[in-house]
Amino acid sequence: MNLRQKLLLLLSLMVALIVAAVAWTVLVRIRQVFEQRDQEETALFVSQFQREFQHRSDEVAAAVDRIAASERMRSMAFQLAQSGDASPFVTEAQALAQDAQLDFLEIIGPDGKIVSSAQWPARFGYFEPIAGADEPTFLKTEDLPEGSTALGLFAFRAVRHSESNAAEPVRLLGGKRLDKSFLAELPIAPGMQAALYRHEDQSPAVTQRGHSGPDSFTFDPTRLLGMAGQVPHADRYEPLIDSAFRTGQQTNSILYLTSRREDSVNATAIPLKSDTGAVLAVLTVAISRNSMVQAQQHIRAIAYGVAAGGILIAILASLWIASRVSSPIEQLAHAAEQVAAGNWETRVTQRGRDEISVLARSFNHMTGELVAQRDRLVQTERVAAWRELARRLAHELKNPLFPLQLTVENLIRARQLSPEEFDEVFRESTHTLSMEIANLKTIVGRFSDFSRMPKPQLERIDAGAAITRVAHLYVGLGNGMPEASEPRSPGPQRIEYSVEIPTSPLWIDADPELLHRALSNLVLNAMDAMPDGGTLTLSAASREGKIEIRVSDTGEGLTPEECERLFTPYYTTKQHGTGLGLAIVQSVVADHNGAIAVESRTGGGATFVITLPRADGSPS
Amino acid sequence: MLRRFAISCMVAALALPGAARTRPRYGGTLRVEVEGDPWQRPGGLARGLVLDGLTAMSLDGTARPALAVEWKSENDNHRWQFRLRPGVRFQDGSPLNSSGVVASLTDECGGECPWTAVHAAGSSVVFTSDSSLPNLPELLAGDDYRIALAGAGNPVTAPVGTGPFQFTAFSNGILTLAANDNCWQGRPFLDAIEIRTNRSIQYQWLDLNVGRADLVEVPAEQLRQAHDQRLTVVAAPSVSLLALTVADTGALANPNLRAAIALAVDRGALSNVVFQKQGEITASLLPAEVTGYGFLFPAERDLNKAHELRGGVSPPSITLAAEGGPAMQLAAQRIALNLHDAGFNVQVAASSASQRGDLTLRRLALASNQPQPALESILRAAGLSIPVSESTPEGLYKTEREILDTHTIIPLLYLPRAYAVSGRVRDLRLSLDGTPQLANVSLSDVQPEAAP
Repeated sequence: MNLRQKLLLLLSLMVALIVAAVAWTVLVRIRQVFEQRDQEETALFVSQFQREFQHRSDEVAAAVDRIAASERMRSMAFQLAQSGDASPFVTEAQALAQDAQLDFLEIIGPDGKIVSSAQWPARFGYFEPIAGADEPTFLKTEDLPEGSTALGLFAFRAVRHSESNAAEPVRLLGGKRLDKSFLAELPIAPGMQAALYRHEDQSPAVTQRGHSGPDSFTFDPTRLLGMAGQVPHADRYEPLIDSAFRTGQQTNSILYLTSRREDSVNATAIPLKSDTGAVLAVLTVAISRNSMVQAQQHIRAIAYGVAAGGILIAILASLWIASRVSSPIEQLAHAAEQVAAGNWETRVTQRGRDEISVLARSFNHMTGELVAQRDRLVQTERVAAWRELARRLAHELKNPLFPLQLTVENLIRARQLSPEEFDEVFRESTHTLSMEIANLKTIVGRFSDFSRMPKPQLERIDAGAAITRVAHLYVGLGNGMPEASEPRSPGPQRIEYSVEIPTSPLWIDADPELLHRALSNLVLNAMDAMPDGGTLTLSAASREGKIEIRVSDTGEGLTPEECERLFTPYYTTKQHGTGLGLAIVQSVVADHNGAIAVESRTGGGATFVITLPRADGSPS
Repeated sequence: MLRRFAISCMVAALALPGAARTRPRYGGTLRVEVEGDPWQRPGGLARGLVLDGLTAMSLDGTARPALAVEWKSENDNHRWQFRLRPGVRFQDGSPLNSSGVVASLTDECGGECPWTAVHAAGSSVVFTSDSSLPNLPELLAGDDYRIALAGAGNPVTAPVGTGPFQFTAFSNGILTLAANDNCWQGRPFLDAIEIRTNRSIQYQWLDLNVGRADLVEVPAEQLRQAHDQRLTVVAAPSVSLLALTVADTGALANPNLRAAIALAVDRGALSNVVFQKQGEITASLLPAEVTGYGFLFPAERDLNKAHELRGGVSPPSITLAAEGGPAMQLAAQRIALNLHDAGFNVQVAASSASQRGDLTLRRLALASNQPQPALESILRAAGLSIPVSESTPEGLYKTEREILDTHTIIPLLYLPRAYAVSGRVRDLRLSLDGTPQLANVSLSDVQPEAAP
């Protein structure tokens, strides 16, 4: 991963984290605000609902009051008091209830017996317990003829008439049924749902004793009835209703009706109690959170979109910033690589005045200095080389010139001698002159050869064969006598030769003559390095896709300084060397895209290692 | 209570003073309003006007000649022969003959005829039966055995008979009957009768008060109210028995449970409150004034004994059906409440004439004031085909005791049947079963030239 990618990743992550944190914070806050608004709205709706419920209670009380105050009722009460005969009024309650739009109405005589009942006309003559007389309105469970019960909102009133002095007046017990019709009459806001839950068996006898039955509460979803009948997902209301029944307190909770958040409601359970405090039923007011959740989801979608867009823009910006930041550094790195590869002329562009610019300027200055130093070094090296060349030339030429001078001076002095002696001297002198002149020509020729190194004519050859050829030339195939092409140092030489090459060909693309020349130079150098005899080893092998040729001797070896300067032209450790032999070898190897190195330690012999590329397409 | 009815009848008689002093006049249309179907059996007003029976019930409770002029029984009342009145024609002009009578009777009673066979024999109709039919002439005077011309008109809503009026039209809920000029009994005084059907009692009374109706119904439970409103009421006391028929199968197969039911019912509440003191409490099938032994059947409620008879057995839910209007429904609900007090779980079925429950509250018409035919008619109306051959008080008591001890029928009240009339109605009489005899009615405000 390069710098640009690292920068891009870092910046993108940072921006994404920041955007995510901001989006999360905003969403959480929005959700809190919505929840708070929802709670307030629910409380408002429930409050309105309760006021309306109270209003309906007042209406029931007013209706019963009106009946009690009506002339018809007062007259009936008077007749009852006078005659004690209740039979003519057995159907009276039905008509009165119908006129007053009440679901329940019972006329109770002074003896506490029902005179007429609208909801159960046949119940005349039965005792009706006096309950809720102290309350304007109260809840009561009323038995019905079909054996069921109904919950009603009741008011209890006495009928007064001026002619009556009875201690016990005629009473009215009227009410409205609390069922889906009653709920339907209440003002229901959009999204609001009111429902009523009642126990199945709540007879008045039970509730009169104040037993609301919480200990035996078993929720039956089918008994939760709304305005349109059974409430969907009624089972979800169980905890709320159970709590209201058990505690007798209003309970509020958010109910998730399905797995979708839109299908959730903010529900309030209002316990409906009798005058004795027993919970007869629970009224649930559920306000849909659908619009709120949809608004939240809409905002969340926008937030996600904005965040995604922000992150995308941030990535693009990060890309641009990373490019801006990393580009000069990349240029510097590339330039450094160029410099490392030897291209010291490399320069980087300088922009601005920041640290990168300072670095670029310093880099350019550094490379400039390097080039200048190299030029100076080259100049110095060139001067040194010329001096070395001059010294060598002077040294090489001085050796033959001195005999020439002595011979010429002998000839001059020989003119004093007899003709016979002169002829003898002249003959010897001319012979000497000829030999020295030939020596001079050889020296000049070697310099000329170095200056005129030919371009290699490559062909595919077997490196092993080239080594064998050199060995045949110098080893003489077992006679141990080298075939020297150069003058060798005098002295006895007992050199053993060893050739180690694999049987399979080692194909290389090389100029056979130049390679032969280079190997010959190395063999000759090795022989020179062993004046007292030794072992000369020629070997070749394939290593790591290259062909390695090694020429080893067991001579005195080389010092590290000598190793360092060994391939410098005109450098030689030999008394009569020109210092061009190894330079020529290095030149030949370089022209073949190869490399030459020397491995040696003092007294341990030396090994020259030539590494040449394997020919393309040759088997490894 | 009987005194009250007697006073009512006197008032009704006094309410027609002008009519009594002048000859009745022909003509005019009588406007009648009824709550139900005038063709229904028994007691349908139109049936008695359009159709005649072989016999008719006289005021003394015995059969008198109608389409049959004479009859005789043979073989210990196993064979009866009725000779038809000659010269009688149906309202479409076709003559009455014995084969037509046989066809009509067969159609009328279907497979539930009290006789085994009926066939024509010349101008006579012969009934044969495997069991003795001592009261067949009284039986044939009933509403179920009126003679209609087979294959003519609609036998249910527009039958063709030999009665004083004939079907003319039925539209907008009004059935129009026109006088049958060729009636064997002679032409009726009225030209026509318009019967507005399915009219509630409240609207009937309203129409009567504003002069849009001449004859309206007065249910027993509203008799007192009718008097309070000073309506002219014509009533026939104790013409129907309010009784509870009890199925002796299923949940009530146990006779003790049926006995408990009989003891649990509070007849006093039904009479005093539901029927506004117009009902006569009874525990016997026949009225006490007819038999004289009514007091031998105790009518008091005995809840403790009912509980004892029930013996802690809680039968499954019992259904109680009631035939009739709101008062019958209220009575049924009250009975259900009584039975609930005795430990029964009773569900009152919705009002439906065709529905029968484990218990059925019914009104059974008392067709005669003679004990023997009256008891037989009540039993037949209750669906109990028990021939009553005993005519002595002891025999009748024994028969009635045996029947009531099965507790399949529980007598509760005897109820009157009453009508309120306008001031233009003259000479209205009620038959023994409380049906108004409109063939003899005339209108006081008919102009002389309107008469034929």
